[in-house]
Amino acid sequence: MKAGKLRFSKPNKYWVESSQKRYVPRVDDTVLGIVVDTKADNFLVDIKGPALAFLPVLAFEGGTRRNRPKFEQGTLLYARVAKANPGTNPELSCTDASGKAAEFGPLKDGYSFECSTGLSRMLLSSPTCPVLEEFGKKLSFEIAVGLNGRVWVNAASPSTIIVVSNAIMKSESLSGVQQRIMVQKLLDRIQ
Amino acid sequence: MEQRLANTWRMTVNEKKFIESALLSGLRVDGRNVYDYRKLSINFGKEDGSAEVHLGQTRVMGFVTSQLVQPYRDRPNEGSLSIFTEFSPMADPSFEPGRPGEFAVELGRVIDRGLRESRAVDTESLCILAGKLVWAIRIDIHILDNGGNLVDAANVAALAALLTFRRPECSLGGENGQEVIVHPPEAREPLPLIIHHLPIAVTFAFFSDESTLVVDPTHQEEAVMAGRMTATLNTNGDICAIQKAGGEGVPQSVIMHCLRIAATKAADITVKIRDTVEAYNTERALRKIKRHSAPVALDVSGTGPNVRKNQVKSQDQRKVSGSVGSQVDKLKPSNERNDSDQSNDIEGILTRGVLTRIS
Repeated sequence: MKAGKLRFSKPNKYWVESSQKRYVPRVDDTVLGIVVDTKADNFLVDIKGPALAFLPVLAFEGGTRRNRPKFEQGTLLYARVAKANPGTNPELSCTDASGKAAEFGPLKDGYSFECSTGLSRMLLSSPTCPVLEEFGKKLSFEIAVGLNGRVWVNAASPSTIIVVSNAIMKSESLSGVQQRIMVQKLLDRIQ
Repeated sequence: MEQRLANTWRMTVNEKKFIESALLSGLRVDGRNVYDYRKLSINFGKEDGSAEVHLGQTRVMGFVTSQLVQPYRDRPNEGSLSIFTEFSPMADPSFEPGRPGEFAVELGRVIDRGLRESRAVDTESLCILAGKLVWAIRIDIHILDNGGNLVDAANVAALAALLTFRRPECSLGGENGQEVIVHPPEAREPLPLIIHHLPIAVTFAFFSDESTLVVDPTHQEEAVMAGRMTATLNTNGDICAIQKAGGEGVPQSVIMHCLRIAATKAADITVKIRDTVEAYNTERALRKIKRHSAPVALDVSGTGPNVRKNQVKSQDQRKVSGSVGSQVDKLKPSNERNDSDQSNDIEGILTRGVLTRIS
């Protein structure tokens, strides 16, 4: 049982939310992985877990042995965890359950950084996390968050990317109000 | 093997490309300017001669110890200085325990050259008995967290530790003056090392585009850089050492430019080190005084019997610690329990104590 914050939602749900740097693979999680190697049948992908994950070469929309995707070492992929059992290498897939691409696949350009699992859950929570909401009002950027503690940010200008990335990295321990204040200060500084 | 594959730190193609393209517009990924250092903070440990330096996310600890040894035959009246580095595996997944790797040896060598060749530490004052006994100073550098730019942080840690280190005082005695008596720190106040100047290391990282260089690279920038150069210099304008081991070739104008930048950075860091060391020394001296005066500062609001108790106590103090005891005697008459008065007294004693030591 990992240490963490005790959370409560009415009427009777209690749970403990923990935040780690390492990721424990779970089925149906969407993660950001880095291609480490290419084997005959699958790609070896690092998802910050205890073992490297396998991504079958055919697990893409319209994937056949003829049109295999080619990923160089270091490619960032947005994928879904298809199989995860303790002790074995997890398996990923770049399609959703029905076989469509649905935004999975390699991410081009932009900047990626690592964070804790708790922060990635906060970024994905709904209603939208205050940091992202405040930035979204003034700047335009796109972002991909992996539940394994990796985030990808892309925008038209490098300064936007840098401001958003650094703000996200600092926002884990801040409350909603503090996050808004921090974002306001940063936006005032760059404008 | 699988575990190690899973645990290595990897960089995405996106990160690499972004760091380089942002640098073309003069932007660094952590929001710094191209020539800015990260926040430097120096903390000291309980013992004299131990310092921990935080440079952004990089953490390095320096620890200085001394030992009496026989001098080298070709330098019979000089002490020696040696540096040992330890790259803890907790600092970076690529650090292995056991034998120091190539980079560890290079780091130790750069710091060693900066201190030794420039004669920053006075080794002749470390000689006790020419040809027989000298002090060997040993600096241990432990890398605790690798956030990039270990050389600079380790150098500051070594300097801070050297400045706060105190070695026991020795005197010669015996029949023909050949016996060395080492006084324990409680008997005689240990002495600081004589350090003539502070050689500060400033590291530059070069990238594949010729005009981009940054000061104080982070871990990510180090993974992307094409070459690195460390310039060690002091505030007197001397260049103590330059290290450029491999990497991309750099034109002479860029090297001169780097040295000019390094000079300003070295001045800032020197001021920072000296201020923190001075604060530590003042606090240490106050701590020493308080320790001696504690038994005396009893319930002084009382009358005769208490004062007599103080007298007896201070007599004992006088036997134990020569100069400080006599100062403690002077504390006796102050019967006011006023805190500010007491601290004024202590400061007075501090200055008086320092004066007696010098004389």
